[in-house]
Amino acid sequence: MSWPAPASVRWLLLALLLVAWEVVPLTGALPELFLPALSKTLAVLYSDRQIYLAALLVTLYEVACSMLIACGLGILVGALVGGTALLRDLLLPVFSSLYAVPIVILYPIFTAWFGVGSSSKIAFAGVYGFFPVMLSTAAGIRTIDPQFLLAARSMGATLSQQITRVIIPASVPTVFAGLRLGGALTIIGVVVSEMLTASAGIGYLVTLNRTILDSPRVFAGILAILVLSIAYYMLARALETRMVVWQSAGRQQRSSAGVSTAAVPAPAAA
Amino acid sequence: MQHLANVTELRRRVEEAAIEVDGVSHVYAGADGGVAALVDIKLAVGKGRFVVIVGPSGCGKTSLLMMLAGLRQPSQGTIVCLGRPIPKPDPQRVGVIFQEASLFPWLSTLDNIEFPLSLRGVPRQERRQRSKAMLSLVGLEGFGERYPHELSGGMKQRVAIARGLVQDPPLLLMDEPFAALDEQTRMTMGHELLRIWSTTQKTVVFITHSLTEAVYLADEVLVMSARPGRIIDHIQVTLPRPRSYEMMATEQFGQLRDRIWQQIRKAP
Repeated sequence: MSWPAPASVRWLLLALLLVAWEVVPLTGALPELFLPALSKTLAVLYSDRQIYLAALLVTLYEVACSMLIACGLGILVGALVGGTALLRDLLLPVFSSLYAVPIVILYPIFTAWFGVGSSSKIAFAGVYGFFPVMLSTAAGIRTIDPQFLLAARSMGATLSQQITRVIIPASVPTVFAGLRLGGALTIIGVVVSEMLTASAGIGYLVTLNRTILDSPRVFAGILAILVLSIAYYMLARALETRMVVWQSAGRQQRSSAGVSTAAVPAPAAA
Repeated sequence: MQHLANVTELRRRVEEAAIEVDGVSHVYAGADGGVAALVDIKLAVGKGRFVVIVGPSGCGKTSLLMMLAGLRQPSQGTIVCLGRPIPKPDPQRVGVIFQEASLFPWLSTLDNIEFPLSLRGVPRQERRQRSKAMLSLVGLEGFGERYPHELSGGMKQRVAIARGLVQDPPLLLMDEPFAALDEQTRMTMGHELLRIWSTTQKTVVFITHSLTEAVYLADEVLVMSARPGRIIDHIQVTLPRPRSYEMMATEQFGQLRDRIWQQIRKAP
């Protein structure tokens, strides 16, 4: 007997989960306050589509702006800290320990500085996503195999050529891993800050409907954020695979490489 | 008359020296005055010769090679490569091939081979032409679009050799290029290298730990002592060329290998 492919098992599990979401509330095992049926959630999402769409646009706008800040500043500072020994020794321990601080504690300060509108969410989520991007960029530059630089120098590479032709391409995979994580954190940052103090956005809708115990509308908001995060994750993965061709090429074609290796001794003997 | 012939011979050899190292010492900076890595190295490598350097780990073989490549400067003494000193890397004069393949994983085989040419801004078409010629020289036609991950250890070293040869430098420095390979691949690669060497007329300085490899490849073997490194023996390998695997079983081969081993063993 052969096992089904993991991908089909995953889809089956998802389908089962959705069916359970629909069936369990119908049986009356759980009150609607705990878990409204899937159909009811979707119905609410459809009837309130204009409200949810407007809220989603606000959230998306905040996420986009904070990602720009997190990724831009993260790469810039990470490259400086990873590339210069002085800054590295001075700042890296500080940044690494700051990473452990629950930055959400600073959010009240952000609202005091930037108000309850979008700016405070963008600033907060930007800071939240900045750390992984910056740390992995610094690590990516720091951990480059010195043999690469030695080889480049022996081939006559100038300092600027070493940076553009070796250091940058060599650190792309690590930087991308940081961007994926940092981007996910900005989504979390935006939603959390919307839930705390806000006047718009999906997170705000969820909190608002929770206080009035409107369970289907709470779940509708959760569903929207779920879809948003999964879409982001898939987009980031697709982008990463395209950008880091040489890594995926190595992984996917290992079997074919094995075949060609066996064919090599022929020219050697000639 | 004999004397005159010797003088003429000597002059010819001096004129045709590819590398002249004179009184080179190297000290690594440290708290207590530093560590002496090399002491008073003096050697001359004739054009077109295949010279192998052997010695215990940490004897400064690699440091010496770095200096010949212009990647490091000696604390004392002079180094002349092809008639000129080498204050910084000069890839058109000296090609270097390292221990591990050190190919760039983000570049395809052909792009890796072309890398030194692209640094100099050689036009794309000419680059492709030359890298393809190198690829077939090392016997890897058809693997140009592959990435290093997809190649075996031996294939990677072939690509590294192609990259070292693509600028056609008269001098090739190799720092334990086959150390990471298994015994069989290593033998094949050594044989390959001799084939390439005989077609390209390069001067080669080759570092290895393997005594068999040293005798099999070399015209001359230089034996270095443990740190601080100095040259303690200079052995002419008079085995005929082209070399074959069968020679390894001969008495002469065994004696040469034994002599190197005795030198290394008694080295302080």
